[in-house]
Amino acid sequence: MERSPVAFDQNSSGVASDFPTLLRRKGLLSPVTEPARLAVAPYQLAPGQQKPWQPTEATTILAFKFSGGVLVAGDRRATAGNTVVYDRADKVLEIDRHSIMAIAGVPATAWEMARVLEHSFQFFRRTQLQEMSVDGKVRALSKLLRDNFGFVMQGVGVVVPIFATYDSHPKPEARLYFYDAMGAQFEATDYAATGLGSPAVRGILYYENTWGPKALQQLSEDEAVSIALRALDTAAESDTSTGGVDRSGKIYPLIKIVSREGIRTLPESKIAAVFKETVAAPASPR
Amino acid sequence: MIEEPYRWVEAIANRREYIEGQLAPGSPIAALGYREGILFLTLGQMRQKIFEIYDRIAMGAIGHPGDIERLRMAAIELASTEGFTRSATDVSLRRLVHYSLSPVMKSAFEQVYGPPYLARMLFAEVGERPEEDLFLRVDYDGEIATNGATYARARQDFAVLSGTRQSTELMEAFLKTRHAPDASFETAFNCALDAWSIGHMTLQTSEAKELPEPAAVAKYRQEQLSIAGIEAALLERDASRAIRYRSLSDTELRSLIHD
Repeated sequence: MERSPVAFDQNSSGVASDFPTLLRRKGLLSPVTEPARLAVAPYQLAPGQQKPWQPTEATTILAFKFSGGVLVAGDRRATAGNTVVYDRADKVLEIDRHSIMAIAGVPATAWEMARVLEHSFQFFRRTQLQEMSVDGKVRALSKLLRDNFGFVMQGVGVVVPIFATYDSHPKPEARLYFYDAMGAQFEATDYAATGLGSPAVRGILYYENTWGPKALQQLSEDEAVSIALRALDTAAESDTSTGGVDRSGKIYPLIKIVSREGIRTLPESKIAAVFKETVAAPASPR
Repeated sequence: MIEEPYRWVEAIANRREYIEGQLAPGSPIAALGYREGILFLTLGQMRQKIFEIYDRIAMGAIGHPGDIERLRMAAIELASTEGFTRSATDVSLRRLVHYSLSPVMKSAFEQVYGPPYLARMLFAEVGERPEEDLFLRVDYDGEIATNGATYARARQDFAVLSGTRQSTELMEAFLKTRHAPDASFETAFNCALDAWSIGHMTLQTSEAKELPEPAAVAKYRQEQLSIAGIEAALLERDASRAIRYRSLSDTELRSLIHD
């Protein structure tokens, strides 16, 4: 008998607290593929052939802590090889009231991952009658990345995210994590960046944090937005896959701020004002 | 037993009597649609009885905790997978109850060699406008009662759940005259407290056909409030947030009680 996705599962034990497992049981999420069991061996190369270049993380995402929480910014360009397919992509995604996942990588996999994650947190709260801890949330994303690693080895579906959240227990503070494609998680003390444009961004943030007029954590909101826009503009200068700021089309990067009060998306008008004043204007004597 | 239909009917009747007996002491739950949403309310001391199912759906239940847990989990799993594969707007209480929960509860009840679900549940789904609120009560045998208009009666902006039929009917009779869908939160909250008190005080008295006197209700309510905690939750109508469910604490509600 064919099972519809909304059939009542009488074998439900009542302990399936893991949403991805539930989805896999119902055949709604691709199964975990171990690299060793893949039908296609990873990167089948002829002897002497170079590993093909794959534009898999073509974007720039950055996040850093400032006085008002964590700022997460991402450009809006989506590319396929050398082609720009979309210039209003949303790569900074709200997962719940206090968590943001920002993505670099293959959009199909990344958005699916964000969707699974969002539903996982809610599913946990509803079934277990308590909020998932921040460590649990960070680990859940790590597990999704690990489960996806088979596809990464096949050369499809690599995702390298940043996760920013506000932890109210035990010590209220903003927390920032970055990952590698295998699912290793690293907690960032000050800043994190991912995507092809990230080396340039990392350079800027390191410089600002160490020798700038103020450490990143002491910046006001306007100053933080200004640094974020400058960093993205710099990344776009040399990386074709990063959109930066499209001055003619008035497309600005997406900037969200996570704080104790929740997530706030900065309005375009505000970003435009900061951009006009501190980024587009030629450098004035300091 | 298949060859002897009479014994099957007898077995079902026995089973019904047994389950009704088990459910009878269950503390009532009132769900009232008001201007800004739907309020679920009960008084109790031990177990949580009001639960979040999905973005716009909540559930209250009485019965055996194990059975409530299995049904609650099933409802959350169904709603979550539907919301994941399609979208949150495609999750519908009507489909959840009519196509999934009710048939399963009915067959569990009628398969006399297996255990039935010892539970009675009240679901509500908040709509954009009060007229779109949906209330569904599902019984242990899969029977569904709705708030929808039929040829015989007007649509109700509330629903109740109680251990006995008589307590349920009295609560409904009270709310029919006293509750208005455009009520404020405070009014709806006090009305729900009264409805609960009426439901709870008529659980024991088997012959109560009339609504108790208001003074008696007020006295009973005061007594119960001093020994039990208020458990309440909201489904908010405000569409700016996806998740409408919010549980309310006993302490934030106590100050709103009118004597």
